[in-house]
Amino acid sequence: MNAFETAALALLAGFVPLGWVCLRERELDGVVALELAGVVTTLVLICLAEGYHRGIYLGVAVVCSAVTWISGFVFARFFGQL
Amino acid sequence: MENVVVDVLLAAGVGAELLCCVGVAVMRTTFDRLHYTAAGTTVGPFCILAAVLVREGFGQVGLNTIAAVALLFLAGPLLVHATARAARSRER
Repeated sequence: MNAFETAALALLAGFVPLGWVCLRERELDGVVALELAGVVTTLVLICLAEGYHRGIYLGVAVVCSAVTWISGFVFARFFGQL
Repeated sequence: MENVVVDVLLAAGVGAELLCCVGVAVMRTTFDRLHYTAAGTTVGPFCILAAVLVREGFGQVGLNTIAAVALLFLAGPLLVHATARAARSRER
């Protein structure tokens, strides 16, 4: 297990507090946690692609960061209008 | 030497990101939580980007990583701003 795989595994621990916020707090706080979860997911994908020496998989990380941005805007607009 | 630099950068990036995750859970208001979300799009990603660049250089892997982190860095403040506006309009 190399350093990047270890980093990806450690980053996965960040989902625990974010999931707790999504489940227990108000819905807009859940959106905030979801936005940070998207960032963490992107970093996990980068670390896994580098750890497994598969550069082509970094495209997934680029798409994930773009989708995180779009979904955050959709949620923010939706909850702002309620 | 290169491995030590990569390990230190990865540890710093992962530590910063986990700190932001815990901060989102610990803070009480939406605006305080947004502060940690904004920090999560800058410190951690740049440390991990630096680790990848030290290991791989500016080849295809490095440029793809730069693209992903740049998207996070540039889009993060816009997203935080939009979410803060939504939170403010709900408070009224």
